Amino acid sequence: MASAVPAARRLASDAAGNRGRHLTDAVATVILWLMAVSIILMLIAFIAYLFYLGFGSLSWQFLTGPPSQQAGGGIGPEIYNSFYILVLTLAFTVPISLAAGIYLQEYARPGLFRSVVQFSAESLATVPSIVMGLFGLLIFVFYFHWGFTALGGALTMTLLNLPALMRVTQEALASVPDSLREASVGLGATKWQTVVRTVLPSAIGRLTTGVVLIAGRIFGETAALIFTAGLSVSANHPYELNPFRSAETLAIHLWYTHSESVIPDVDRVGNGSALVLLIMVLAFNIAARVVGAALTKRFTGRSS
Amino acid sequence: MIEASPASVDTREKLSAANVSVYYGSFQAIKNASLKMAAKTVTALIGPSGCGKSTFLRALNRMHDLTPGARVEGAVMLDGQDIYAPDADPVIIRHRIGMVFQRPNPFPKTIFENVAYGPKIHGERDRQRLATIVETSLRQAALWDEVKDRLNRSALDLSGGQQQRMCIARVLAVEPEVILMDEPASALDPIATSKIEDLIGELKQDYTVVIVTHSMQQAARISEYTAFFHLGEIVEIGTTTNIFTRPREKRTEDYITGRFG
Repeated sequence: MASAVPAARRLASDAAGNRGRHLTDAVATVILWLMAVSIILMLIAFIAYLFYLGFGSLSWQFLTGPPSQQAGGGIGPEIYNSFYILVLTLAFTVPISLAAGIYLQEYARPGLFRSVVQFSAESLATVPSIVMGLFGLLIFVFYFHWGFTALGGALTMTLLNLPALMRVTQEALASVPDSLREASVGLGATKWQTVVRTVLPSAIGRLTTGVVLIAGRIFGETAALIFTAGLSVSANHPYELNPFRSAETLAIHLWYTHSESVIPDVDRVGNGSALVLLIMVLAFNIAARVVGAALTKRFTGRSS
Repeated sequence: MIEASPASVDTREKLSAANVSVYYGSFQAIKNASLKMAAKTVTALIGPSGCGKSTFLRALNRMHDLTPGARVEGAVMLDGQDIYAPDADPVIIRHRIGMVFQRPNPFPKTIFENVAYGPKIHGERDRQRLATIVETSLRQAALWDEVKDRLNRSALDLSGGQQQRMCIARVLAVEPEVILMDEPASALDPIATSKIEDLIGELKQDYTVVIVTHSMQQAARISEYTAFFHLGEIVEIGTTTNIFTRPREKRTEDYITGRFG
């Protein structure tokens, strides 16, 4: 009789197969977790080591004073130049890439012209920054007879960063649901009104995040600037406003002190510069998140 | 095919489609559809999923202009003027023929800014007049009492049903003559749905309403006229009563008796 009733299937794992599967699962979980954690550890180790090396160099004198061929030089003008070139580059890059991105995403119909612009931007994005730097050397330094200038550096950086920012614009606009465009157009709005009043405000958080992230990259860029903005700070005044003068940035100063210069306290200046540069770039990354989230909340009335 | 109707209903022809065909690339989604929509009545477009009723509705205020690859043939007359005429301005057309969409699509802005959006793009700048328009529109949409204390809160904080009524208020704020509704209650619960239906009953006093609906009960409850769509064609047009009680076409009868759909 008992054999007619099938034995209840057990809920506990048996030795046959399930134990092995569970073991594999547990091992995979641990390995994946370790890989993820190692990324955090690498960043912390890197920052900690730079702090250890460079923290002793930091002083008011170092952060604001001019560089020197003797021991005891500072990086004040270099920090200033980094921001100067950043602002100048963004002043060119943001309007052009925003306009191009809006055109491609909102106005252009699929077709030959849009494909050609897209392909050109992608090609431009793959040009190595050193090649862009040499191009800037030929055009701005030699052909225009400007010599090494902040403006030439900023224009070269514009070429380098245009495609990325255009991409950022397109992706930010693409993230705005079509239902909002339909709502606006359905009320009798023109395309321009729809873009300005609905699409851009909805995309502002992502746009800002993209701009600030690219600002961090501009801040740390070297290769495109070595041959265009030059390796020295202005001879007239360390904090000059004129764009037609050489403008060594912090990132270039770091490279220069370690490869070319003969100053006696190269390690002190180098480690301090590296630490300041790292802090600045990290600050841009954090600012990108904070400002992006705040703007999204402000323009859309909700957190995202 | 508008039939005799009670004297209280104005049967002037407000909007009419003549031989409208809609193509997506080479696919013909609507085949030679003709329909007359009387002023200050509700016309329901019914039919199984994919029959083209929404596609037809979007042809009535040139929303297909936004879809790459879509093409409309035929004529749609608003008060006797073709909205597809070369000199017809889609911006003016959509001002006069408003649209409420299937899913509530509030702008990520405050309730006030949502309703004031239309008047603002059409040039109204006076804060006082905007406030009046916003209040009137929200009252018409039976939403004012629920939101009057939080006009400056995000519209995204409203419930789905409230959002949809706000979207209707947003359309009313631009004072259209015709309101197109694309299954406006399909994403809502029964209580919110009945509020929308009551609202449509109010709106037909002043507006010409064309509504796509999936629910035959809804069409029966709210509309005077019904057009039955199947496979991109209008199979039958008539008063809602006749369509549901004495359909002339076998396909209509099969659909309303639930034999397919």
